[in-house]
Amino acid sequence: MRTDRHRLFDTLTRRLVALGGWSVLAAIALIFFFLVWVVAPIFAPVSVERLSGVDTQRGDLLAVSTDDTFAVASLITRGGELVFLDMASARGAPPDTPRHSLAEAPVKAVKPVYPSANTVALLTADNRIHFYRIVHEPRFNENSRFVTSRVDALFDATPLHLDSYVDNEVAAHDVFREGSRMQVAILDETGATVLLEFPHADDARPLRDARIERLEPAGDAADVMFGPGGRWLYRFSGNGAYRLTDIARPGVPVEQGAGQLVGAAGQLTALEMLLGRYSVLVADERGVVTQWSLRRAGSMTDLAPVRQFRFPSPIDAMQAEPRRKGFVAFARNRQAHLVHTTSHRVLESFRFESGPAPPLAAFSPAADRLVLAGPGRLASYAIHNNHPEISWSTLWRRVFYEGYDEPVHTWQSSSADTDFEPKFSLTPLLFGTLKAAFYAMLFAMPLAVMGAVYTACFMNPGMRRLIRPGIETMAGLPTVVLGFLAGLWLAPLVENMLGAVILCLAALPMSVLACAFAWQWLPGRVRARLEGWLALVTVPVLAATAWLVFSFDAELEAVLFGGDARAWMYNALGLGYDQRNALVVGIAMGLAVIPVIFSVAEQAIADVPAHLVQGSLALGASRWQTVSRIVMLTAAPGIFSAVMIGLGRVVGETMIVLMASGNTPILDLNVFQGMRTFAANIVVELPTTEVASSHYRLLFLIALLLFVMTFAFNTAAEVVRERLRDRYARL
Amino acid sequence: MPGSDPSRRYGAWWQSGAPWIWLNAAAIGTGILAVAGLFVLLAVRGLGHFWPGEVISFDYRTNAGGLHIVGARAGREAIARNQYLEAVADDPGAVPDPVERWLVKTGNRREAAPDFRWVFAHRATNLAAPPDVVVFERTEWGNAYGFLVGLAENGVSVSGGPTWAALTERIERAGRLRSEIDRLRDSEIYEIDRQLERLRFERRRRALDGVERVGDIETDEARLRAAYRAAAIRRAELSEALGRDEVSIRLMDGGEATFPLGTIIRAWQPNRMTVRAKLGHYLEGLWSFLSEPPREANTEGGVFPAIFGTVMMVLVMSVLVTPFGVIAALYLREYAPQGGVVRTIRIAVHNLAGVPSIVYGVFGLGFFVYAVGGTLDDLFFREAQPAPTFGTPGLLWASLTLALLTLPVVIVSVEEGLARVPQRIREGSLALGATKAETLFRMVLPMASPSILTGVILAVARAAGEVAPLMLVGVVKLAPALPVDGNFPFVHLERKFMHLGFHIYDVGFQSPNPVAARPLVFATALLLIVIVVVLNSTATLLRSRLEARYRTVEN
Repeated sequence: MRTDRHRLFDTLTRRLVALGGWSVLAAIALIFFFLVWVVAPIFAPVSVERLSGVDTQRGDLLAVSTDDTFAVASLITRGGELVFLDMASARGAPPDTPRHSLAEAPVKAVKPVYPSANTVALLTADNRIHFYRIVHEPRFNENSRFVTSRVDALFDATPLHLDSYVDNEVAAHDVFREGSRMQVAILDETGATVLLEFPHADDARPLRDARIERLEPAGDAADVMFGPGGRWLYRFSGNGAYRLTDIARPGVPVEQGAGQLVGAAGQLTALEMLLGRYSVLVADERGVVTQWSLRRAGSMTDLAPVRQFRFPSPIDAMQAEPRRKGFVAFARNRQAHLVHTTSHRVLESFRFESGPAPPLAAFSPAADRLVLAGPGRLASYAIHNNHPEISWSTLWRRVFYEGYDEPVHTWQSSSADTDFEPKFSLTPLLFGTLKAAFYAMLFAMPLAVMGAVYTACFMNPGMRRLIRPGIETMAGLPTVVLGFLAGLWLAPLVENMLGAVILCLAALPMSVLACAFAWQWLPGRVRARLEGWLALVTVPVLAATAWLVFSFDAELEAVLFGGDARAWMYNALGLGYDQRNALVVGIAMGLAVIPVIFSVAEQAIADVPAHLVQGSLALGASRWQTVSRIVMLTAAPGIFSAVMIGLGRVVGETMIVLMASGNTPILDLNVFQGMRTFAANIVVELPTTEVASSHYRLLFLIALLLFVMTFAFNTAAEVVRERLRDRYARL
Repeated sequence: MPGSDPSRRYGAWWQSGAPWIWLNAAAIGTGILAVAGLFVLLAVRGLGHFWPGEVISFDYRTNAGGLHIVGARAGREAIARNQYLEAVADDPGAVPDPVERWLVKTGNRREAAPDFRWVFAHRATNLAAPPDVVVFERTEWGNAYGFLVGLAENGVSVSGGPTWAALTERIERAGRLRSEIDRLRDSEIYEIDRQLERLRFERRRRALDGVERVGDIETDEARLRAAYRAAAIRRAELSEALGRDEVSIRLMDGGEATFPLGTIIRAWQPNRMTVRAKLGHYLEGLWSFLSEPPREANTEGGVFPAIFGTVMMVLVMSVLVTPFGVIAALYLREYAPQGGVVRTIRIAVHNLAGVPSIVYGVFGLGFFVYAVGGTLDDLFFREAQPAPTFGTPGLLWASLTLALLTLPVVIVSVEEGLARVPQRIREGSLALGATKAETLFRMVLPMASPSILTGVILAVARAAGEVAPLMLVGVVKLAPALPVDGNFPFVHLERKFMHLGFHIYDVGFQSPNPVAARPLVFATALLLIVIVVVLNSTATLLRSRLEARYRTVEN
């Protein structure tokens, strides 16, 4: 019995321990696969799935829209009727579907009151504009949620009469509203354009006190649109001519660019404004969609082509997404194409059903649902398209953003205005990471390797016993302390005494060499006794030199740099200066990584088999010859592995760069400029980002890249070390 | 021996390689200098802050006119004369070279902002150290500097006049009242709040489960509300008593300021203090830095919650990491078939050690906080939703993340310890009929226990200094409550906590008043470094003891 229990205990222990051992492997695999799992959806293919078709029994549709939850579709007909359709019941419109009559006269056009999505302005044939707000309210009862919809007439249900402003029938209108300030643009059949501004628009009262402004008529204009912020006005003709007017200053409209959106050969087939209205999408008869964006050229602002999409069949209609720079294009061959402009990708194409005319389309606000309304039919689609703005090429290549003059590498993960999209280019961050690592290694590598050579080959064993724990202490220094000193003490010091810092680079080694030269005149007995303690001897020399250089900084700068090293650099070399820069980061991060490189390198050098050294010395080589030709060469793989481990450490170091680098994502190799690294970027942005957004997943991608980079460095180091160990064993 | 021809001498010297050896030595020298300089810098800047420095007064001439300044010198620097003359219009004849500039802390942020001013030394006249100047450390608006002119009780001047003795006595009384109010708030009122919150959750839970009976809850709620009212009345009484006294001081510009004595923590007359009194004051200041919570957006007061949070986090982490680290090391050393398996796992361990800490933070946030914590919330904390309980950064997740991060440290250390246990001991035990498990638990592990301790200490030192991952998984700049208190279940692993390392970053870089906070950051950094160095040295010491012990066993 006793034995059985013992055996059971033994077996259990063995199993448990084996499980524990393998769990280390499981942990690292879990980290890797979890990161991959979070990142993967970024690169998942886009898919479209048809949900339902509904009979609406209504033709002559002018507008369609949906609510936030995609439960209700609202249709506005040419007859001035509004119908709410329940999207969930695929049975079609029940006979008792509530109808709302919005206008008696036939409706000519419906436009949203820009930039609101749920307020509409209806232009009727009797030269009036009616304003309505479509309200969808989510309600809850015991076990389900449903949406109740209603339509509210605005401005005390009083339409805006246009006859007093224009003589002819109004052909097109557009409305912009920002708080209580509302602007209405109307265009009559002759091209005469009137801008009405209502400074105190109040939903409960009729519109009044219009300020009237007449713009230069645009002969063949067929449509009018407000631009971003109501500061611009676009007018378009049916054949693709456009005219841009700056209306930011009341009473002083300034004509800006004008021209032709389609070439002489082509013919305009569809036109749509992208989110923010900085860009116009123009489709022509050849199946080409061109994105034109506002761009400043001197004192003029004009539209300029930015990029093109080519489709096999002409595009008859387009619908922009409500919150992203994407759109869906409906081709004549009954193919719909989902496109994202900035990433320059056609994400997915699918067949749609339609009558003779292209369908009316509306996205749900999150653009995960699409409803298409043709004559008598309503079809809805689910769109799985969460990260259209990110592709491998937008992450690394230059991207042409709205408002820029040329394609750029930019990381700007949030913007003040929803009209502008976040800009996700990893290139500046990777550059910053490598730049910080480069300068840190430039500082740390020589010091660590040289220190290791001295410690392993020349140092007195008594001192070595002191140095090893000292180095361990240095390795344990919290990086937050180093970063804090670098950012708040070293950075201002370097800024104020730049001349002295630069001079130190030369003065410190020179002073040591001078001291070494003078050393020969000491009695041989003293020299022999102190040989193993040279490191301590250099400490006062270095300290004194540094103190001298720093206390005569002003004089030195006056002599060498004409008074101010920073000004001299800027004037003579054209180098800008940030207080928190790569030099400061390099020094601080270098100090953090010196002990890491040192201990691995020192181990490798100290483990060089003694008979190699003795053989060399016996053949008459001097100690330095032995060290530089035999020991260093033998230990070279070990030193390489030390550098790899150090590199892994600096690439992922966070706190020092966070505090000492300034965190500006710029592409500049200048040692006196800052940078933003992968690690600092994560810690700055991840706490405030929305879970599962593109930004969140990208930050995980950055973490994954860091993981892979350090994994590569460390595995390389480990493999090289194993080989070296084998070689030492053979020797 | 030195030769007569310097150039030949030089050539031979260069050939010998001596310059290289010297340069290599200088690399070590640089390291020593950097580390020593760092400690000295932190010690001087951090520890100097608590010394009750002399308060000076002087007349100061600016180009706009003259003023009288009273304050403590907080820093001085020299600037070149020509730089000064470029920036300031001054009579070149009266300007020394270099120009000395002082940073003077004049305090009185509410009465006469700013509380720090730069002045040029050569423009100060009638420099003196007035003996009766008083410094007040206040709960808000920072220090006040001035001369005592009035002391009032309920608006009436106290009999005997504003004497120093009367002031200190009343400050002591105010201190007692304040701590009574704090106790009332922290233990009673907070506890009642928490119980009410729990009842509210209970109500939600019953509603979710379809239970309609809530009578008992209502009784409890009524009882708690009554208790709350009583505590609130008591607090109001205490607050009124605290507001009884007022002190008036004459400011440096001759105006007077009056503020309630209840806001004063300490008052001292630095220019009257003996060295001994100053030393006492210094130690008192140092102690309150270690034992008190921060005030005024972390720019004043102490770091106790940060120390406490750091200690709690490393404690929980140690509990988590020790068994895993020991088991993994046992597997590698005692059980695993040598060869491919061990090599693979060892590479995994080295990689685990080499993965940047921020990646652990990202993993911790995504996996522990959102995936695991979110699931726990869905399963067990439905009533609190949508407010997350475990699905948000907190102490438990921070400890788990750091346990993963420090796992390699423990594994490597324990493995080393196991390797040192002589093979003979295992063989002897097995030969006497013990199973492998018995050998392990009775012989090997006890002998290797110091190495386990070493590993845990090293892990704790690493974790105490780590900040980046914590910023993602649970650290906050100001935690409303400590993770341990007198309320059931006493240890609150879901709470957010403060941490010394993050405190340095936050106060140093995100503080609204960086100049005032700077000395505290140096002090905090010094504290953190001392903790880490002491831990590391203990580990090193333990390891060398262990080495010595096995040398004797083997002989």
